[in-house]
Amino acid sequence: MELSAGKTRSRLQDYIASVANCAVEITELKHLSGGAIQDNWAVNLTVAEGEWVGSHELVLRRDAPSGVAASHGRAHEYQLLKAAHSAGVQVPEPCFLCTDTSILGRPFFLMHRISGEASGYLLVKGNDDPGLARKLGLNLARLHSIQPPRNDLVFLGSAPNDPALAAVERYRGYIDSLDWPMPVLEWGLTWLVAEAPTPGKPVLCHRDYRTGNYMVDCGELTGVLDWEFAGWGDRHEDLGWFCAKCWRFGATGREAGGISERAPFYEGYEAEAGTAIDPKAVAYWEVMAHVRWAVIAAQQAARHISGIEPSLELALTGHVIPELELEILKMTLDSGHA
Amino acid sequence: MRDRPDTADLLKIARQVLRNDLTDLLPTEKRYQALMVSNAIAIAGRQLGVGGETERRELVVLRDLLGVDGQSEDLYRELSARIRAGTYAAGTPDHARMRAFLETITRRRVGESNPRALDQD
Repeated sequence: MELSAGKTRSRLQDYIASVANCAVEITELKHLSGGAIQDNWAVNLTVAEGEWVGSHELVLRRDAPSGVAASHGRAHEYQLLKAAHSAGVQVPEPCFLCTDTSILGRPFFLMHRISGEASGYLLVKGNDDPGLARKLGLNLARLHSIQPPRNDLVFLGSAPNDPALAAVERYRGYIDSLDWPMPVLEWGLTWLVAEAPTPGKPVLCHRDYRTGNYMVDCGELTGVLDWEFAGWGDRHEDLGWFCAKCWRFGATGREAGGISERAPFYEGYEAEAGTAIDPKAVAYWEVMAHVRWAVIAAQQAARHISGIEPSLELALTGHVIPELELEILKMTLDSGHA
Repeated sequence: MRDRPDTADLLKIARQVLRNDLTDLLPTEKRYQALMVSNAIAIAGRQLGVGGETERRELVVLRDLLGVDGQSEDLYRELSARIRAGTYAAGTPDHARMRAFLETITRRRVGESNPRALDQD
């Protein structure tokens, strides 16, 4: 359903008016480029009176016609954004969710539009930015203050007893479904079983908290994006994913996401969380991060190889696997056990 | 016999034309795709350059390590299954030898897919 078509646009406008309980005018409606998982639109509107009086620049996120199994639909993503926003995490403020498919054909929600740069390659080109790293640490700690049980997040299921071993099982399952021998990833997974840390208290993990998934405007963090993989897990999983060498966009010397040293990122986190980070557990989850990214890369390459989705980008993604694997071999060498 | 210039030479000159003469003429939003094409040609050229002899040598080592015969795909399947089963886990006799083998094949593969990652070592 093309949103900008007259009828759909007026149906959307009427719907927003019914939620706001007053006259609303959509002044702009434009499709935004985005991933294959979502369908995003820029919506500008004017509200005549009441609580939301004034002009607003929003984003409408609608489920794509075909969802990706491992990611949340818009209804769940809306709940996650609301929970994160209430916990004080810098995110685009969610406005409301519509699950009535008679309006736009598929569920959607509206959130405030944030501005800034998200490209990892551009962000790591700037100067060392300890202030940004500290802010990202603080925001991650606020996210991790969300802990089960939560009635608003029941769709996340129950927290795994041992997040590390649960992840190992998941990635072994993915490798088996690819039917593609990956001995170095198996080597890493064997190490991850042997070295699994004692599970900590479960927290809400973002699971893709890294440079490239947050927006920065004039040096200020404007929002953390891409919540579709969030779930209950170990706090060190997000910390390790953020610091993993594969997410430094070539700025390998700056261990906190290619933007700064680790210290300010850890300090920002610890000051807010009131909990000390276990550096050994972070190192463990950095190995897991490389395994996870390699498995995802193999899945993406398989989409090209199978002929389902011929794509040069997916084909080249398969070629990031060797360097991830070399890193896995290096990281698992010095533990004294492996 | 094949006619010259050979595959590697053709890929090399095709990539040069793309990079030196064509990429800058493209609209900005299409340059990324040209870079991806150039990268794909480079990987293909490096894979050709390594050739079958290296893989044959690797398979000789792998057959010896596993103590079984078979084709490449079967051997790597067997290897993966054994690693998962813990056959080469830390503390086992063949642990260090197997790790060295994995590092050898992985370095060769990085050399084909992204040799710059080897420079950062």
